[in-house]
Amino acid sequence: MERNEIVKNIQGALTEVLMRDFGPLPESTRLFEDMHLDSTAILELLMALEDNIGIEVDPEKLDMDDFRTIGTLTDFLERTPKVTS
Amino acid sequence: MFTRYLREIKRALTGAPDTPLVLVCNFEAEAQWARGHVGLPAPPANAARPLVAAMEELGVLLAGPDDTLVLSRPPDPGYQDYLTEQGLALPTVLVPENCQPGRSTTRNALDSPVLLDQLRRLGGDGAHLLPMGTTSDEEELARRCGILLAGPGAQVVERVNSKVYGRRLTDAAGLRPVPGACCETRQELTDVLARYQGRLESGQPLVVKDAYGVSGKGLLVLDNPTRAAQLLRMVDRRAARTGDDRMQVVVEEWLPKRCDLNYQITIGRDGRAALDFVKQALTAQGVHQGHLMPADLSAEQYRQIEHAAAQVAARLHADGYHGVVGVDAIVGADETLYPVLEINARLNMSTYQGAITELCQPPGTVALARHYPLRLAAPLEFAAVRRVLDGVRAGWPATRVLVTCFATVNANALVPVGAGGPPEPFDGRLYALLIAPDRDRLAELDGAVRAAVTTLSLPEESHD
Repeated sequence: MERNEIVKNIQGALTEVLMRDFGPLPESTRLFEDMHLDSTAILELLMALEDNIGIEVDPEKLDMDDFRTIGTLTDFLERTPKVTS
Repeated sequence: MFTRYLREIKRALTGAPDTPLVLVCNFEAEAQWARGHVGLPAPPANAARPLVAAMEELGVLLAGPDDTLVLSRPPDPGYQDYLTEQGLALPTVLVPENCQPGRSTTRNALDSPVLLDQLRRLGGDGAHLLPMGTTSDEEELARRCGILLAGPGAQVVERVNSKVYGRRLTDAAGLRPVPGACCETRQELTDVLARYQGRLESGQPLVVKDAYGVSGKGLLVLDNPTRAAQLLRMVDRRAARTGDDRMQVVVEEWLPKRCDLNYQITIGRDGRAALDFVKQALTAQGVHQGHLMPADLSAEQYRQIEHAAAQVAARLHADGYHGVVGVDAIVGADETLYPVLEINARLNMSTYQGAITELCQPPGTVALARHYPLRLAAPLEFAAVRRVLDGVRAGWPATRVLVTCFATVNANALVPVGAGGPPEPFDGRLYALLIAPDRDRLAELDGAVRAAVTTLSLPEESHD
């Protein structure tokens, strides 16, 4: 999956989790400070991303630095192996 | 303040209405109780929550002039003057001499010999320690200072703050529970979600709650079978990884509701209990936003709350608890009252407002306690807040607006940011109590305060 597709998927997942349509978000958008995600929202975000890009992530094993911005999350998702269903 | 409210709390907890108290407002207590209890899968917790820690300033509203409040950061001098002008007699504030960023006030106190000596003297004079919620840290503070705890020990307090405990108490007391179940293993959660498969398929949501979820967090709403399956997969992987399938959550039906309620009970050492107040709780997506008082309830609903309060108090006392308890409840869309959604056996946000509402809310008026979000580029002076609120007050006769916590406005500015470059914008919260003759004017006043506070904020970005 191309990087811009992953970014679009993250935007879609944020819209679903936070129930707000944000429109295009820059990669510099901070997930905690700007989007106000909490631990449950991260869990929901992971679930939405599991659906859309075929990953499997255990929240406890996350490095929260990967969740600093949309850009760092995209880097993380690019590195994460995809699971075949 | 020598309010009746504070005197009654002192009488119940210490046996006398004039016992001096030492208050530690450890809003991080819930996070501490949660340690060692496995709940929903969750990312590693963020270490520092400066805004939550700064809420300890709320203690100035509860404590009286013969009490002592331990704070890691003293209140802003301008805010202290303001409170005095509003008619509040403030407590003595003690600040630990060794404060470290990100460390709790109790931990700071335990590392501050000068402060410990001061607390020992207060303990020797008969003061009692009243934490927001007792954890092993406050227990250690009490022990090292030879000061009596106003409530029971940490073990009892932690046990009765579990949502699993709360559901079981509700069942045992014969009170109407929110339909649902307690789960203490992965298999129990699997079985419960399987039972609810049909409900999920029809799009009726469930909520899974951590037994020790921090207020407004640790709640996962499942609104379709896919989400339930995903949750179970995550839980299965965790159990396989750790070799331990224990977990403590409750699963409840997400009921359509008219409103949330919060009521407070104070349980005396002798088991006598008083229902202190019932407030309407304002929430958005499960997160607490504020309180409206009085709550809009029928006489019968109020009677049911009185009954539930007596039952909850009796059972908590039988299980070794005395002290302040906040209970969350809901009124369903069909007006059915569910009197126990959650038991918080600790001081609550509304506990700190009890004295100020007694002083400032005349009978027959309505009040709203809430916070207003701020987005700031630099710390805000209290004078700036005061200026905009004075502007509101001028246009709204017969109303009152009181700032109830100012430290939360600038708390996040204290977080170190990356070296070099301009500091990043940060979020703050201004807590306030609004009083008006009726609900319509209260809503209009709320809108006016929100508009005024917004002028202090950075312009809203398109995504926020």
